[in-house]
Amino acid sequence: MSSGTATLRPPLVTGDKTISDVTNDICAPMARKPTALWWAAFGLSFTALIVGVAAVWYQIATGIGTWGLNKTVGWAFDITNFVFWVGIGHAGTLISAVLFLFRQKWRTAVNRSAEAMTLFAVMCAGIFPLIHMGRPWLAFWMMPYPNTRGPLWVNFKSPLLWDVFAISTYLAISAVFWYVGLLPDLATIRDRSEPGWRKRITSILCLGWNGSARTWLRYETVYLLLAGLATPLVFSVHTIVSMDFATAVIPGWHTTIFPPYFVAGAIFSGLAMVLTLMIIARKVMQLEDYITMTHIDRMCKLMMSMGCIVGLAYGTEFFTAFYSGNGYEQFVFKNRALGPFAWAYWTMVSCNVVIPQLLWSKKLRSTLPVVFVIVILVNVGMWFERFVIIVTSLHRDFLPSSWADYAPTWIEIATFVGSFGLFFTCFLIFCRIAPVIAIAEIKGAAHLKKRPSAESSSKEKAA
Amino acid sequence: MTQTQNKTYWKSLAERDGSLDALEADPHQAGPAPFSRRQFLEAAGFTLSLATLSGCGRAPEVTALPFVNQPEGMIPGRSQIYASTCAGCPAACGLLVGVRDGRPLKMEGMPEHPLSRGGLCAIGQALPLSLYDSHRLTQPLADGKAANWEDVDKAIADRLRGIKENGGAIRFVTSTVTSPTLQATIDAFLEGYEDAKHITFDAFSSSAILDAHEKTHGIRVLPHYKLDEANVIVAFGADFLGTWISPVEFTAAWQTRRAPTEKHPEMSYHVQFEGGMSLTGGNADRRYRLSPTEYGNVLSHLAAKLSTRAGKDAPAGSLGESSIDGHDIEELAERLWHARGASVVLCDSQDVSVQVLVNFINHLLGNYGKTVDIERPSRQRQGNDAEVLQLVDELKAGKVAALFVAGTDLTHNLPDREAIAAGIEKAALVVSFAEREDDFAALADFVCPDHHPLESWLDAEPITGLVSLSQPTLQPLGGTRSILESLARWSGKSDSAYDILRANWRAKMLPLVESQPFQAFWDKAVHDGFVSTNTPSATVGEFQTEAVSLLNVESTEDEFLLSLYSKVALTDSRHAHNPWLQELPDPTTKVTWDNYVCVSPSTAEKLSLSDGDLVRVESNEGGAKVELPTLVQPGQHDRVVSIALGYGVRGTDRFTDIGPQWLEGRPTVAPGELVGQNAAGLIATRNGTLQYTAAGVTLTKIGGRRDLATTQRHHTLEVPRNVAPHGAEVRDIIQETTLSEFAKDSHAGTPHAHHHGDTQLWAEDHPKSGHRWGMVVDLNKCTGCSACLIACQSENNVPVVGKDEVFRQREMHWIRLDRYYSGDDDDLQVAHQPMMCQHCDNAPCETVCPALATVHSDEGLNVQAYNRCVGTRYCANNCPYKVRRFNWFKYEHNDPLQNLVLNPDVTVRTRGVMEKCSMCVQRIEEGKIAARQHGESVVDGDIQTACQQSCPAQAIVFGDMNDKTSKVHRAFENPRQYRLLEEFNFRPSVAYLRAVKNREAQHEEGGHHA
Repeated sequence: MSSGTATLRPPLVTGDKTISDVTNDICAPMARKPTALWWAAFGLSFTALIVGVAAVWYQIATGIGTWGLNKTVGWAFDITNFVFWVGIGHAGTLISAVLFLFRQKWRTAVNRSAEAMTLFAVMCAGIFPLIHMGRPWLAFWMMPYPNTRGPLWVNFKSPLLWDVFAISTYLAISAVFWYVGLLPDLATIRDRSEPGWRKRITSILCLGWNGSARTWLRYETVYLLLAGLATPLVFSVHTIVSMDFATAVIPGWHTTIFPPYFVAGAIFSGLAMVLTLMIIARKVMQLEDYITMTHIDRMCKLMMSMGCIVGLAYGTEFFTAFYSGNGYEQFVFKNRALGPFAWAYWTMVSCNVVIPQLLWSKKLRSTLPVVFVIVILVNVGMWFERFVIIVTSLHRDFLPSSWADYAPTWIEIATFVGSFGLFFTCFLIFCRIAPVIAIAEIKGAAHLKKRPSAESSSKEKAA
Repeated sequence: MTQTQNKTYWKSLAERDGSLDALEADPHQAGPAPFSRRQFLEAAGFTLSLATLSGCGRAPEVTALPFVNQPEGMIPGRSQIYASTCAGCPAACGLLVGVRDGRPLKMEGMPEHPLSRGGLCAIGQALPLSLYDSHRLTQPLADGKAANWEDVDKAIADRLRGIKENGGAIRFVTSTVTSPTLQATIDAFLEGYEDAKHITFDAFSSSAILDAHEKTHGIRVLPHYKLDEANVIVAFGADFLGTWISPVEFTAAWQTRRAPTEKHPEMSYHVQFEGGMSLTGGNADRRYRLSPTEYGNVLSHLAAKLSTRAGKDAPAGSLGESSIDGHDIEELAERLWHARGASVVLCDSQDVSVQVLVNFINHLLGNYGKTVDIERPSRQRQGNDAEVLQLVDELKAGKVAALFVAGTDLTHNLPDREAIAAGIEKAALVVSFAEREDDFAALADFVCPDHHPLESWLDAEPITGLVSLSQPTLQPLGGTRSILESLARWSGKSDSAYDILRANWRAKMLPLVESQPFQAFWDKAVHDGFVSTNTPSATVGEFQTEAVSLLNVESTEDEFLLSLYSKVALTDSRHAHNPWLQELPDPTTKVTWDNYVCVSPSTAEKLSLSDGDLVRVESNEGGAKVELPTLVQPGQHDRVVSIALGYGVRGTDRFTDIGPQWLEGRPTVAPGELVGQNAAGLIATRNGTLQYTAAGVTLTKIGGRRDLATTQRHHTLEVPRNVAPHGAEVRDIIQETTLSEFAKDSHAGTPHAHHHGDTQLWAEDHPKSGHRWGMVVDLNKCTGCSACLIACQSENNVPVVGKDEVFRQREMHWIRLDRYYSGDDDDLQVAHQPMMCQHCDNAPCETVCPALATVHSDEGLNVQAYNRCVGTRYCANNCPYKVRRFNWFKYEHNDPLQNLVLNPDVTVRTRGVMEKCSMCVQRIEEGKIAARQHGESVVDGDIQTACQQSCPAQAIVFGDMNDKTSKVHRAFENPRQYRLLEEFNFRPSVAYLRAVKNREAQHEEGGHHA
């Protein structure tokens, strides 16, 4: 990069770091004993996970009846959580793959953790379609495997089957992408570690990385290809998830706007979650020099633009309903805004459309507590968006005789809490065992001082 | 021993000859070959895997033994049909009992029966469940303890001997006895005692009608109403389609006049005056809210107007205020007068003077001998309240020495229970014949449990001259004994019930039929289930006009009037132990598992009451009270509060554990409580009758709530005003028109459809060239009585889920009776719509199932493969009719006796799978197999779905739509035919026939375009 751009753009890494400082700073948390704060966070997350596991165990042992669903509202928390978590994942892929292709260098500070977040979010998401089944032990029937049941196979017309493929592909690609990106850093850890279990494991996991030009060349090629492969997934996965609803006949679901609407929403919610994690991580792990206010600022801008797209989608839905002349369709939207779940609808609108508008102000964008509150609210709002779409459409459909109410049971709430437990437990463990910032990438992207040092120069080259 | 040792035994020639080669060649002789290690491992592995496999077995081994003597005509696994008589209530409808492998499973209506005409109500359908009830008594009780029949018989005989010697009153209380043989046996039993009396006590009495006829015609009878001959039906309170006297018979007759055709656009005109909201009121062409105290006033006005038309003087007395518009009464009188001899006025008032007025009007209209038959009267209600009240006095005075009670729960169903119970204590001998230890039986010295009706021989004579037989369909499950036998024993005879019945028929019935040998007569009667006898007509006296006087009842504006009624599912407290009936949503209120206080919307607003708020209803005289939850009932009279009788039955605390038990699950009844509250304490006694309507009650909100488990939460087709889109405020789910519009245009009532495209997205490459099953439901005939719902439950093993699950809106019934109100409270109209799987050709459920668990058959059925279902519930979400039911839990089948009620043709679904109406696919297949065996094609009408078979209104037609001669094909071409949500092109195989109301065109033309 020319130095001209560097003067215009704020530096990606602040604090006057050298290349070796970067390695040391980022690897430091792994070598240290966990802090009290980490233990507290882990204890909380793990407790939530245990609560969730207990709730899921009870639900599977007893029946779906332990959820608040009924004959009319057949999905609620389960699929809401599923779409919520899948959506969260999208920002990770966007940041790591799409921004990579667009050569957005600022992504290097956040891409690793965003990818990890994707992975854990998709894991959380994957649980819900599984446990929402009446007979989850037969989940393998979703797979088109050769069997002896004659013509009985899966239904390729069903969007739920498309989901199975979309989610499993997404999980696989995300995992591979994340792992491939980790390779040079794993080698760094290997090289820094004292002989012992850490060195042995990283030696195996880094696939014999030797830092040669050929290794780097192959690595860059694979990474580029994987980024190219992952990019369409950003759009396809949530498009397919949206088709669970769009292909149904239920007013409020049956609408062609859903694919772009869902994708925008997914990125929106994902960015909010990345920001949530980053704001915590930079503080807790003292990475303020790497995840700078510039990063926060850019992600805020991206998030706000997505929020505007989502807001546009909300408006378009209402217009479509009004313009359709279809009474059922019109009713669903009036009912969303004014019916029994109006509180959920207005929570969604205020959290997703109104509050993010505050981010137009640069001053607010650079005030961390404000940003933190806003991203949390966006997370809440995006959860409610899925809840509103699912529950308000179902609870009052065609025949008024079947109109029903919905309220979650404690089991459902505990399962939801448990998914957060799983997510944060995984993330906290990830923070302890892998570098949360892509060391190799940030070194390439940031203009760091080279302080020649005889004994460390070879090591740094390898890294 | 020594000798034998010397003998040489050989087993083969080779052994004898000592040829070693031969020995080795003989496989039986060779010892075990030495195992190689490989063989050992093979064998060990095989054994191990076999042992493992055998451990995988699920079901315990059950031995099926063949018959030693195969009963004639019996094929294991096949149903046999026995003609019988329903004993659910004294209406005595014709019954066909489907018996399979020795167990009665399915109750069906008898199409040949002249009264019920093939219909059977919910209670009749639910009989098998009460048969296989493990809480039924299996042996007699003496002082509440299990005893044996010898000891009980001896003790009773001893005490009876004492009474005979010393004198003492014997009172034998029964509910209406329609059985001539039982009547004769009771009479014979009571003979020889000085002071013995048989008293008929009906839990819901029509005594005043009988008393009124005694006054006006000199004969104490209940008329046989012939509604199929009535062009104008005016009912005051009488819920004749739901609960009054003989609802199946009345529905079957009523519906014959409710099907206008293009050629004959005619139908009866039905007006209902009532205080509460009954099933019948909802089906009337015009319903007026009228407090029961005002029946007399309105009837007086009607009587006066009709007298003028008849050119006679109005009866004595003055006319009072009438809250019904004079113009309306005038018009009604005009209609009645035009339909002289083809009209009928019905009234359920227990006030004899009101009933006398009714008789006067029917007399003026010349209805006697035509629509109102008292020469061959009905015997379906014979309760004599005056005698009952006299008995109560005797009991309180301790004048009764022996009290026998059969067929009713005396103390549960009467007010002032404590005093009566104390009186019962004084009697020397108290005997109950109850099937269970009910409230009275708990006070009795001896409980001598009668058989279940499906276990015993009996007969019934619902209408004079129509005698039907009940035959046992299985060996009694417990050590119960027919009441006929019990009475015979105590009279010193040892005849069996069968002998007693035959003897009575030989003596009394045979002379009443054309001469034939008894055995032939008997065999035919057993085969047919009923016989018509030439019983001589009763002698009816001249109409006593002087008995009639106009009524002028001053209504009190500031007091509430209590109206006690019975619910369709529980006309008798004895059915309270039947969970099917407890969970049957009331056709009008849609509430299950409870009784409640119905109040009108404006009263509720005034007292700030909402559904579920507990209120105390207290009688101003006497101070009897009940505390029950409120139900805000549209159409309810503002001053009338209604409470259902038949609840709070002893022993219903058994339902605490019914339904799934889980962390947040709530019991159906709180431990120690009963299902509902008994409101019998509020029955008033006045002028010698039991009054189910009592003026002067206070209504107090007492704080606290008891949530009511309703199956429907939104009650109109009008969407809530705040969310209603312009132009789509009312949904055209129910299409209706008026008779005058229909006469002009048989398609009247069709909504202004915007879209009628028949374009298909996909090629129609699945021709249904063979059978194509379809169903049509006539909304004009369907009364909403919910018999179909229990028929379906019984046929298809639909589980009972308990109150909490219903509250969570997870009832499992495959048929839902959607009920929608329209109009204002003063002229409330009710529409009922049976809603089951519509078997759409373009089924939204089918495309979304990822596992292909729900697919379309080549006969047009939407079939559900339970085995394949993984339970994503996507199909239910995507079902526009919301007819799919999910197994949220494993609904327990832990009671082995109760499990006998399950239909072996239908899978019991496991937890986590979806289920729904299959159009009784098992019956379709059975019909097809039967036709194939005879080498014929399926004849229209041979295959009937369970709901269709039992429908008292014959509102459901099912058949092959490809068969151009079939009824269902013709019904699809009926101009009134419409399909639900047709504009979405789901192409349902179920259609509805538009309802036609015989009234003036409404302001709102039925059919707001959506």
